[in-house]
Amino acid sequence: MEFRWSLVWDSLPTLLTGAKLTLQLTSVSVFFGIIIGTFAGIARLSKGPFRYLAAAYIDVIRGTPLLVQTFIVFYGIPGLIQRPIPAYAAAVLTLSINSGAYVGEIVRAGIQSIDPGQTEAASSLGLSAFQTMRHIILPQAFRRIIPPLGNEFIALLKDSSLVSIIALEELVRKGQIIIGRTFRPFEVWLAVAFIFFIMTFAISRLIAVIERRMMPHA
Amino acid sequence: MPNTPILSVQNLFKSFGDLTVLQGVSLEINQGEVVVIIGPSGSGKSTLLRCLNYLEEPSGGTVYFQGNPIRPRQNLRRIRQEIGMVFQNFNLFPHLSVLKNITLAPCLVRKTAPEASREQALELLGKVGLEEKASSYPTELSGGQQQRVAIARALAMNPQVLLFDEPTSALDPEMISEVLDVMKALALEGQTMVVVTHEMVFAREVGQRVLFIDEGVIVEENSPGQLFQNPKKARTKKFLSKIL
Repeated sequence: MEFRWSLVWDSLPTLLTGAKLTLQLTSVSVFFGIIIGTFAGIARLSKGPFRYLAAAYIDVIRGTPLLVQTFIVFYGIPGLIQRPIPAYAAAVLTLSINSGAYVGEIVRAGIQSIDPGQTEAASSLGLSAFQTMRHIILPQAFRRIIPPLGNEFIALLKDSSLVSIIALEELVRKGQIIIGRTFRPFEVWLAVAFIFFIMTFAISRLIAVIERRMMPHA
Repeated sequence: MPNTPILSVQNLFKSFGDLTVLQGVSLEINQGEVVVIIGPSGSGKSTLLRCLNYLEEPSGGTVYFQGNPIRPRQNLRRIRQEIGMVFQNFNLFPHLSVLKNITLAPCLVRKTAPEASREQALELLGKVGLEEKASSYPTELSGGQQQRVAIARALAMNPQVLLFDEPTSALDPEMISEVLDVMKALALEGQTMVVVTHEMVFAREVGQRVLFIDEGVIVEENSPGQLFQNPKKARTKKFLSKIL
């Protein structure tokens, strides 16, 4: 059975609409993941009761498979609340919560990497804890965590293929659909892999550029 | 209350775990005074200074600011606005320009208008001889320049008292004098200062009162002339003989 390039070309338009959804899902989820993760990371370093909550969240999410989390959100919760959750919403919810846990650890490490002298200087000037976090610690921490955040984005982009299981037509699901029609798994999966690689490679280059732009003074 | 000391410390104790660093220190800092704290490393002098604005919370005893006891949950933030601090490692904010380093606290804490705080910052930079560095970033400056910016940053809050924690210890020798000169000028203007330092020439020339601290207690306290020429305690003599 010879390799059919024409099949790769023909399936590209369909695959690319899937890739678009993959990219969109991942971007939205990482955006929410960064918000959730920032709070989780700060809470984990706080002295109040929230730190146990944040630690539990991070441990549980990182200690369970994303696939199982997807099932819980898409099949489990609708039973509980007596109404269905649309596949897209379920996917974004799952991926955001999942990403938030990993980003939480990244943010925690980023904050801890800032010299305690920065906090001392800020408090000696009379800044509140919130002002210190907002104006001194987080701006510096975020610059440092751009590389690990980029890795998280790439990891989530690849992991997002798992939500194909709830029939969301992202890149992998599109591949499955084409194969169902053509019975040519090799060409199609190769094309899918190639598109994933182009996306992750482009993102890692982009992150490198952002990193260089933001680094000169810190 | 002209006679109330700006800072007064009563029977201050500080321990880190099993290690007791300060064992019952009492002192007063009056308006316009330049008090220099000297002592061997590990004597507790930096810890004492850091207890004055509660960067270290004392294990016992009380610190009064203008007669009011410092209470961390009630008045600490307000009092810290009146107590400037200059650190050994400068601790400038590396992500902010020199100008922003200086205007940040007045804008956020004192709610000074941006334009007014900018003008004040430029004036302070002129005072420390760095007006042309306003738009530079801390990493672009030498150590001595960074420390002068740090002094300007502390001054921007118009503090009642300035604390200096070994301000020249992290500097290359050729940069020490530019920082000491700025500090000397401040002292002449009547700025109240508490200075922990190893610079004995500075202590002698600028200090009005010198405290010698060893093993967590004030061993001896006198005018610089008396303390350096005529130390009364054996420990003071021993320390001075090693460093002078």
